[in-house]
Amino acid sequence: MAPAIEGMAPAVESSEGNNKMSKGYQYPSWKKKLRGLLVDNAELCRIVEKGIMGLCGVETQAVETGEAAVELIASGATFDLIVIDRFLPSMTGAQTARKMREMGVESKIIGLFASYFEGDEEDFVAAGVDDFKEKPLSPNWLVPILRELDN
Amino acid sequence: MERNQMHRQVSVMRQSLFDQGYLDEQFIQLEELQDDANPNFVEEVVTLYYRDSSRLILSIDQALERNPLDFNKLDTYMHQFKGSSTSIGAKKVKAECTQFREYCKAGNGEGCMRTFQQVKKEYTILKRKLEAYFQQARQVGPSETACRPRN
Repeated sequence: MAPAIEGMAPAVESSEGNNKMSKGYQYPSWKKKLRGLLVDNAELCRIVEKGIMGLCGVETQAVETGEAAVELIASGATFDLIVIDRFLPSMTGAQTARKMREMGVESKIIGLFASYFEGDEEDFVAAGVDDFKEKPLSPNWLVPILRELDN
Repeated sequence: MERNQMHRQVSVMRQSLFDQGYLDEQFIQLEELQDDANPNFVEEVVTLYYRDSSRLILSIDQALERNPLDFNKLDTYMHQFKGSSTSIGAKKVKAECTQFREYCKAGNGEGCMRTFQQVKKEYTILKRKLEAYFQQARQVGPSETACRPRN
């Protein structure tokens, strides 16, 4: 199979004539072993987002709360990429990000929104996240970020 | 019905879900996550969606009956609902969720109630269509459209 252009649109058109949506996106592999932490309270979202991060070559741990994420980091776990949902049950996404920065976490932190209105990102940005995204977390968006982390 | 014909029928059903705007490319992401290790991933995730969402819908219905309306609460529920709808690629449902949130932000109770009827309508339509699609797909067995080919 011819290599795809990394991070770009899907590489291979399906052989089925009536399938307009392309399949066979060439998922990348990285020089470094990229480790991810996903913080999302919704089980469905956790499953899907973790899967997508995995497809993009990030070995990902998923937790349900900000507290659980902070505990992991306090126990010495390190991550290249941390993805945090905005709404978490007690500690909010922004509070979680802020706590991590206070703990000295320098990893790339991304704030995730189920629904984004302009201005929603303020508390995340103030907390020190590097970027934010409205769901869904897509390979097209994630891969360029990962490529930077890999260099 | 001859096997090839059934295959085609499933393909056509799937394609029409995209063409008619019920699903977006996020559904394809789910398909990409389906493989030999997770052969029923898509159907499992969609089943989880309907299970979780029915609870949220009930909560929103109840919240809409209160007087006065608690827009913050409504917004929080809808944020969750939009998140999971987005995660499975439920395009029309997602659009109605966004509309609902706009009415919440504007404190427009009438708008919220009206839009929520639309949310439920689109949700139900999609559920019926997906159930029919999975039923057909199961009869045919694993297909090229549903499983990411192993590299």
